[in-house]
Amino acid sequence: MQTASLRWHLFCRVIDNFGDIGVCWRLAQQLQQVHGQQISLWVDDLASFAALEPGVNPALPQQQVQGIAVYRWDEDFSLPADEPEVVVETFACELPPRYLHFMQQLTQRRGQQPVWINLEYLSAEDWVRSCHGSPSPVHGMNKTFFFPGFTEGTGGLLFDAGLPALAQELASAEARTAELALYGVHNIADNTRLISLFAYENPALPHLLEQLKQGPQPVCLLIPQGRISAGVEAWLQQPLPVGQPQQRGALTLCTLPFLSQPQYDRLLALCDLNCVRGEESFVRAQMLGKPMLWHIYQQEEDAHLVKLEAFMALYLQAAAPELRESLLPLFRGWNQPGLPMPDLQPLLAAPQGWQQHASEWQQGLLQLGDLAANLVQQVVNRV
Amino acid sequence: MKTAQEFRAGSVMSLQGQPWIVLKAEFNKSGRNASVMKMKLKNLLTGATQEPVFKADDKFDQVILERRQVTYSYFQDPLYVFMDEEYNPVEVEKENLGDVLNFIEDGMTDVCEATFYEGKAISVELPTTIVRTVSYTEPAVRGDTSGKVMKLAKLNNGYELSVAAFVEIGDAIEIDTRTGEFKGRAKN
Repeated sequence: MQTASLRWHLFCRVIDNFGDIGVCWRLAQQLQQVHGQQISLWVDDLASFAALEPGVNPALPQQQVQGIAVYRWDEDFSLPADEPEVVVETFACELPPRYLHFMQQLTQRRGQQPVWINLEYLSAEDWVRSCHGSPSPVHGMNKTFFFPGFTEGTGGLLFDAGLPALAQELASAEARTAELALYGVHNIADNTRLISLFAYENPALPHLLEQLKQGPQPVCLLIPQGRISAGVEAWLQQPLPVGQPQQRGALTLCTLPFLSQPQYDRLLALCDLNCVRGEESFVRAQMLGKPMLWHIYQQEEDAHLVKLEAFMALYLQAAAPELRESLLPLFRGWNQPGLPMPDLQPLLAAPQGWQQHASEWQQGLLQLGDLAANLVQQVVNRV
Repeated sequence: MKTAQEFRAGSVMSLQGQPWIVLKAEFNKSGRNASVMKMKLKNLLTGATQEPVFKADDKFDQVILERRQVTYSYFQDPLYVFMDEEYNPVEVEKENLGDVLNFIEDGMTDVCEATFYEGKAISVELPTTIVRTVSYTEPAVRGDTSGKVMKLAKLNNGYELSVAAFVEIGDAIEIDTRTGEFKGRAKN
């Protein structure tokens, strides 16, 4: 689809991890690289951004990164020099009052407001479809709610065209060996299961590690540095520095440095099972067609558990009964302290069923189109 | 100012300078500490409806509407004129009366409730149950008193509705104004 090149202003507030900026940066890149849009991105935490994208200099208030204008969003927010056709506030972040005033003036002068989008959080709940694309008349202008989702009637998921093929690229034994060598992991037997571990602090972690240690299946756990790292080291009762793997029974543990987005994609594509968290890594694992275990972001009043159940209902809708009976308690045990953490070994010993299901789930998601393309279409329909 | 999540069905919010009554309000947690409100709104001035979504903490003015009891007096095209308890005329535009028009007729004595926005009457509500006289209907079906078989009946103002088969011309009938449906023969 060839679309006019419009000026987009994207706003991102980093709350407490890398998901917000991770999603925004991928979206900005796709809009610019795939759809030819002109993108300006305001981010309130350039240090987090720089961890994901080494091309970002956290000291600069304004810079060009891969053809995208990046601005530090600080207290002294200054008005942009260019006038946008599209404004996107991501994850319910509030636009600065000065910017709202700027939009109102722009609307009066042009006689037409910029297309104003509120890009919301991802949820599998039913109500999302009734809210996706709905108008929101505020501040004398109209905003549109845009919800990512897993079903028709939502905005779909954020993925790039090359992502589904990455798993194929890293499927051979040679590619696997070469990729593991990058992390200082050598001499891994062919039947070793590779698992990536990215999660929030999780009380179920020791149960998982004990299982893997005592199991018959050799497992290599690849752990990008993050919030789960302290839990791993506590279980090990010793530090686990980058590049110095440790062996415990059938389990090899290896800390990886914090990875850029392209590097993390390769890790997910390499592994047989990915423990993912939040929204961004969760989506990437699904779009790679890989088995994954989701650690959902905890919310007040246990709202996250409702969202987990809504996702599981969709994810397992077409799954074989035995797979459903294995996965549902596994996901619940990983997310709900107090529930038992079921044994992962049967799934690791016979991963074909889960892999097949993950591939079929991925194919269904691909049918929805990618979020960036769906968003561009929504904007084009309104300009 | 009230946040979107503080509005309930029945409350009236000021949106784009106009009063909108909340017909439905659904609260959902979207993520982290964010929530959204899906609403169904009806514009009290135009009758237009819309189904917007708001962030739960978006702020709006609440509109407190004045209400007064009125009785119907006369029609002066295009206004329907009611009288309040102090015999002040209250004029309501035809398009703001909606389904109430079906039951307005000369000489009606129902005590209605008028709603005012910035001093102007914008709607009138009838009592939940009203009594009207049937001006024409086909003859009653002999022996059927169950009320399950229905037929059409015309009121004095020409409005037609379904009534039980036993209803006859000149009968006073009760009507539920929420649904516009026949309830039964009026008790004397």
